[in-house]
Amino acid sequence: MLAAALLAALTAAVALGATDIAPGHVWSVVLDRLGGAPPRPGTDDLIVWQLRVPRALLAAAVGAGLGLVGTATQALVRNPLADPYLLGISNGASLGAVAAIVLGAGAGGALGLGLSAAAFAGALLAFALVWCMARRGGGFSPLRLVLAGVGIGQFLSGFTSYLVLQAGDEQQTRGVLFWLMGSLSGATWATLWLPVLAVAAGLLVLQARARAMNALLMGDETAAGLGVDVTRLRRELFVVTSLLTGVLVAVSGAIAFVGLMVPHLCRLVLGGDHRRLLPVAALTGALLLVVVDVVCRTAMDGQELPVGVVTAMIGAPALLFILDRRLGAAR
Amino acid sequence: MRIAIEDLRVGYSGREVVSGVHLMAAAGEIVGLVGPNGSGKSTVLRTVYRHLRPTAGRVLLDGTDLRTLPLARTARHIAALPQERTAAFELTVREVVAMGRTPYKRAFAGEDRADRETVARALAAVGMRGAAGRRFSALSGGERQRVLLARAFAQDPDVLVLDEPTNHLDVRHQVELLALLRDRARTTLISLHDLNAAASLCDRLHVLHAGHLVASGPPRTVLTPELLAEVFGVRAAVTEHPLTGDPLIAFDHRGRLRLPGGRT
Repeated sequence: MLAAALLAALTAAVALGATDIAPGHVWSVVLDRLGGAPPRPGTDDLIVWQLRVPRALLAAAVGAGLGLVGTATQALVRNPLADPYLLGISNGASLGAVAAIVLGAGAGGALGLGLSAAAFAGALLAFALVWCMARRGGGFSPLRLVLAGVGIGQFLSGFTSYLVLQAGDEQQTRGVLFWLMGSLSGATWATLWLPVLAVAAGLLVLQARARAMNALLMGDETAAGLGVDVTRLRRELFVVTSLLTGVLVAVSGAIAFVGLMVPHLCRLVLGGDHRRLLPVAALTGALLLVVVDVVCRTAMDGQELPVGVVTAMIGAPALLFILDRRLGAAR
Repeated sequence: MRIAIEDLRVGYSGREVVSGVHLMAAAGEIVGLVGPNGSGKSTVLRTVYRHLRPTAGRVLLDGTDLRTLPLARTARHIAALPQERTAAFELTVREVVAMGRTPYKRAFAGEDRADRETVARALAAVGMRGAAGRRFSALSGGERQRVLLARAFAQDPDVLVLDEPTNHLDVRHQVELLALLRDRARTTLISLHDLNAAASLCDRLHVLHAGHLVASGPPRTVLTPELLAEVFGVRAAVTEHPLTGDPLIAFDHRGRLRLPGGRT
């Protein structure tokens, strides 16, 4: 059902925009192209195939990735208040990517590989920093974790803004807004393969560990008693979430709250078993971001909103709701 | 299966918390670990379910050093009920119990009919079959302990390791939980604060004090007024339980005992 909804949303995403195109026509253009036919004359092919299809697919890939990363991060820190944006990991990735561009290292990877690698390094560094801060003094309280994440995230995004503004070259740096709020406007066929591949691989790797992630929810000792190598699992989740975050941020910037909302919502409806949760969170994340991107492109005439603006407008209230539920339960 | 612990030493950050402990649990035996807070009971148990690695010494399962076994292989023989309590997000009772099948499952493998039957049997054994669909986090403390015990049963273990399973339970739930453990099909290693419960349940007791083993044997010979004074610092009389004939410890809650070193 979710898959059907996603397909419908993708169709709508390609059909809607500054120029509306009939859904039936969208599919005939797409099927022509998939069938290997030469591009049709006129602007429809350009709009559908060159602009909107890659963008809708990127939205789906990034949304799915954020859903996965959020789910994995929450299992890793055993805390439903975690997500790569809130924990500052996305900001770390942004800083890594921006630093690479400013230093000229990102230019080498024509397909976005160098940029992704730099973003991955930034994500890993930020995650490690937050982890150590939150770990100090033994326990791993939700409050401490989130505060450390927000603090480090703000710190890193300050550096990101500075670097972007200092470089001053709008063409080269894609702007502060892109890195700090996220945007899907950079979508092209050439840069699409990496996020799609990364998300597919991420789902596979995480799904293979779904049972162990369930055990981890019950505590380190319980997981050990069930034969799970907790140290290794943590390390694997750490790397997978940082890697995915790095790849996603490199193509779309730091998009807020999707990784927080989606797993929480899915858990409410579906329960906490990761074997079901992971694929459903991926689909739900994809659906959400495709829809949000349509809103971003069509809400204002002649100008588009960064996706992060809309996800923050939905996500921040969701965060407050979760916080209220959690703190209420803890009392 | 038989568990043997030989000259076990465990330390955290340079400080040794268990020093040279030897103990044995024969197949089908119920062996208790007692001792004051911080005496090292939990630490010893954690090395058996492999949450902690010994700094020296060995834990043997039927003569095989645990370190030579993969973690999942160990978990097919040894199931644990640790003390930790976590929120477990939104898992149902059935999902929590089905977790016991983890060590038998490859990645991507679903549960088969045999798994589901094992889970159902484990739930029935603790009297929680009717609660299978409920949220684990919505259960009372006593119900949760029973569900966690069912998870350990679902692991189909030869050895059961329990760390203070009756903590925070009211008297009735304590009695019910311990009754579930009086089954000699498995070897049981259990730490208990309640000495009367330990005396009634266990075939043999090991007393730990500051990381050292200070006494071992049947409850009747181990739990003497002298030992209770020395290890726990309490005055107590040991008599016979009028209903069961087990050793019964009656503490003197008024008495103040002079401890070594002049503390009172």
